[in-house]
Amino acid sequence: MKSLRGSVLRIFPPDTNTDEVISGKYKYDELDLRKLAVHAFESIDPTFYSDARKAEKPILVAARNFGCGSSREQAPQVIKACDVQCIIADSFARIFYRNGFNIGLPLIECKGIADGAAQGDMLEVDFNKGIVRNITRNSTLKFKPIPQFMQELLEAGGLMPYLKRKGGYK
Amino acid sequence: MSKTGKTMAEKILTERCGRDVEPGDIVVSPVDIVFAHDGTMPLAIQQMESELGTRRVFDPSKVISICDHASPSPSEQVSNVHIFMRKFAQDNGMQFYENGDGICHQLIAEKFASPWKVIVGADSHSCTHGALGAFATGMGSTDVGAIMAYGKTWFRVPESFRFDITGKLPTHVTSKDVFLYIVGEITADGATYMSMELVGDTVRDMSVESRLTMCNMAIEAGGKLGMCEADGKVKEFLRQNGREGEFKPLFPDNDATYANELAVDASALEPMIAAPHRVDNVKPVSEFPGIELDQVCIGSCTNGRIEDLRIAAKVLKGKKAAKNTRLVIYPASRSVLLQAIREGLIETLVAAGASIGPPGCGFCIGRTIALGDGEKVLSTQNRNFKGRMGNNKSEIYLSGVETAAVSAIKGKITDPREAL
Ligand code: SF4
Repeated sequence: MKSLRGSVLRIFPPDTNTDEVISGKYKYDELDLRKLAVHAFESIDPTFYSDARKAEKPILVAARNFGCGSSREQAPQVIKACDVQCIIADSFARIFYRNGFNIGLPLIECKGIADGAAQGDMLEVDFNKGIVRNITRNSTLKFKPIPQFMQELLEAGGLMPYLKRKGGYK
Repeated sequence: MSKTGKTMAEKILTERCGRDVEPGDIVVSPVDIVFAHDGTMPLAIQQMESELGTRRVFDPSKVISICDHASPSPSEQVSNVHIFMRKFAQDNGMQFYENGDGICHQLIAEKFASPWKVIVGADSHSCTHGALGAFATGMGSTDVGAIMAYGKTWFRVPESFRFDITGKLPTHVTSKDVFLYIVGEITADGATYMSMELVGDTVRDMSVESRLTMCNMAIEAGGKLGMCEADGKVKEFLRQNGREGEFKPLFPDNDATYANELAVDASALEPMIAAPHRVDNVKPVSEFPGIELDQVCIGSCTNGRIEDLRIAAKVLKGKKAAKNTRLVIYPASRSVLLQAIREGLIETLVAAGASIGPPGCGFCIGRTIALGDGEKVLSTQNRNFKGRMGNNKSEIYLSGVETAAVSAIKGKITDPREAL
């Protein structure tokens, strides 16, 4: 993955937790992610799903510690199922961060992003250079490039496809 | 240029990966112990089967399956999940712990964890085992499914956050209070991605059980690991559990590099409370006078060990829980329960009005017992998020065991320093 472009669908506050992404009460009832995605963020942002469906190449932006709380994988999965391109946050909670790459959803840690973008802004992410360009505001922010191995995970579409292709960890 | 001094986390990954590692490196490491419970094992099995096309685990002696979260099973759905897990364990000839055997983290600490091992659990509190000098952390079901199949996983080598905890703990102040204080200071993401290395003479003087309580809560500050030194106390703990041969000392190098450091004067600490609905909403117990309690819970992977039951029994001996306050106690494992029976602690606790639950998670996630609307509870567990104990209209306060036991007698949040 070299670069991607999309518009900011939402900016989430600090400490947005996995319960807010997808309530625990749905996770055992619905295994079809496209259907589960209808409930994404519903307790804090009831129009999220319908807005995501209308958006072209949506990107999510968040302040620090996005995805804290439980280890539930359904959280990044429903976001991906809403066709979100990537999430750019000041920081992520660790297990969410890992789960994101494992399911092939790019997560970028970029300090200052939550204050440096507004809903609707057009962003361009250059993975190799580690730059987020805000085309709407003509500004740029730097991030530490994603390690090679994690880029390979993304390119494969996640951990399981990666392992299948390689026949295990090499 | 590679630096010379290493933290405990860096030392373990350097050894297990067979090359010099530094924070930020991505490495592939063998995994010595992998486990999951009835909340996460089913999805891990599904991932193995559907994505990797296999039901075979890499090494049945290193994969452990535990029924603890909804145990004993409260419903036919859960019972069927347990059947699915039992069958998988049988087919693989791997270790399986039944309803009532105990909480995954307690069983892993008693039977499997030891210094220098790499341990992964499909549960966020898997960081507990750093108290025994293991590199232990929680992951999601996909990761754990992959580890069960291949016996390896990838890690980003964490930066380390050193906590220098020194001074003698005042009477009635426990390791739980130390850690609540730390979370209050650094907040819920103060140690994100990091190895929280808990050192200093206060930690050295603590029992391994008290250290397990602190490392258990590392994730509540965002930590990837909670680590203590593997010293003589760890050796003794392993000996008591029939595993002395697994001991190998572990200490950080004197010239190790830390991303952050915090000095804690333990002698100045007070008993602490985390108020609803955040673990980092911490204040001394003296700031919560007179909050009436519907229930007091003692147990969980944080504070359900024999040392905790001894403290509870000491406080409650010859006393009674208040009339309007239910006292619920879940020993963390079968062996903890057995030991408590031998020592007469269970008799004392039952006489004081406690209901004793079967070893397991019990009250902690509200799967088998839940709170009612508007109820207030004081619990010794690690999380007080809204809805955590099965009802999002209830309020959860967190404390150490002594504060909880005293508060049960008074029927309201009480400072143990005043009451004892
Ligand atoms: S006791 Fe609570 S925190 Fe510990 S493993 Fe069980 S549910 Fe999780």
